[in-house]
Amino acid sequence: MSAPGLDAAIVGVGSTELSRAAGRTELQLACESIASALADAGVGASDVDGLVSYTIDPVEETELARSVGFQDVRWSSRVPYGGGGSMGVLLHAASAITSGRADVVVAYRAIRARSGATRFGAAKTSAAPSSNHAGTTALQWCMPFGALTPASWLALNSTRYMHEHGVESADFGRAVVQLRAYAATNPAAWGYGNPITLDEHQASRWIVEPCIRLFDCCQETDGSVALVIARNDRAADLRQPPIAIAAATGAALFEQEIASDHYVADIARMESSTAIARRLFDESGFARGDLDVAMIYDAFTPILFMQLEALGFCGPGEAKDFVAEGNLGLDGALPCNTNGGLIGEGYIHGLNLVSEAARQLRGAAANQVPGARTALVTSSRTGAILTSG
Amino acid sequence: MCPDCHSLEVEVADLSGRGTVHSFAILHHPRHPAFDYPVLVALVDLDEGVRVVSNLVRIEPADVEIGLAVEVEFEARGDGAVPVFRPSAAGARA
Repeated sequence: MSAPGLDAAIVGVGSTELSRAAGRTELQLACESIASALADAGVGASDVDGLVSYTIDPVEETELARSVGFQDVRWSSRVPYGGGGSMGVLLHAASAITSGRADVVVAYRAIRARSGATRFGAAKTSAAPSSNHAGTTALQWCMPFGALTPASWLALNSTRYMHEHGVESADFGRAVVQLRAYAATNPAAWGYGNPITLDEHQASRWIVEPCIRLFDCCQETDGSVALVIARNDRAADLRQPPIAIAAATGAALFEQEIASDHYVADIARMESSTAIARRLFDESGFARGDLDVAMIYDAFTPILFMQLEALGFCGPGEAKDFVAEGNLGLDGALPCNTNGGLIGEGYIHGLNLVSEAARQLRGAAANQVPGARTALVTSSRTGAILTSG
Repeated sequence: MCPDCHSLEVEVADLSGRGTVHSFAILHHPRHPAFDYPVLVALVDLDEGVRVVSNLVRIEPADVEIGLAVEVEFEARGDGAVPVFRPSAAGARA
């Protein structure tokens, strides 16, 4: 059954700088990005009556209310599923607003993924059967065997994917060269001014062989991103042209884990992305060819390939050709991760991909797709279609 | 809970200890002091139909491949022991 339409739009976008050592707490980073997003929207803190973030975000709602000055938050929510849930804040906020349970929602993520305690690339050794809200307990079956990082967990899927489709590391490298080219011309990006060649990708050291080199990894980043989301009628009166949330959905399938889908029947296929695409296109009435730009969660290059296929932009095993033909570039069929992605710009849990989609739809991106009006934002378990004007 | 019948009963079953490498990962970075690198991690499909994450032992990294037939042995870790897998005498099957 198709869901009723959503009546919500992104009206404000805020961000701190992306760095490797922010030198301040996640709470402060969140406050700064939220203040920036409110100013961008032309909305006061007292207008905010809804909050949404992620189960793994360290910033508490009560601290934010006291610090930013929220007066009466009547709805709040958190999205599970780690990075796979990154676009879920759009679904949650738009659902709350459409149902009348909130009028103005702030979505936020604050992270010190480089300098803080949650450095994703570092070896984690908790084997506790409780996940402490990280979203999965299956990692207790990984950690005793030395698989301590997201790269190591996803590598098991990635190696199988390469095996089934004859994909090589250089195939991934061609996507990274494109992402780093985008980042090189994006002043906000970690990779600003620093493009790479395919040879440099191939010379970068193995993190996990045979699938993930150093340059295939997203950047551990300190920073925060915030969005202000409001009903369309209200959005029309605000400072920025609204970016409508035309469709939003999630998919958490049986036997899925967090960054460690080792027990699904086909570990080389991201079935939840297929479910997301089906629902988004059904719900919005848009087709793949209507998209001007796409933001696809690229924590590591192999999952970008697997999502391109699962989302239906190319067939199984065809991502290497789709990428090699230049389709992710500004002149390609699917300009993708035009900020450089999580690999080239930085990793704020994927929420910086939504900021980039908003910049594209406002015509203000560093690598602008001319006249962009329709954008897909998606991670493995959540996604949305955004439109402007 | 069993997702098919919602039973809460658990029983221990003896398995053959034989399986096939479904996928693998050769870990180089980061390095945790508890392990010797590169660490060979594998997804092993046991003959009885269960898939487990484990380590491969008694094999060079360059010789690891999907489809390799393996059999269990137990390796001391901390206070206990964990199941790890070595190439089976029968060789590759898949």
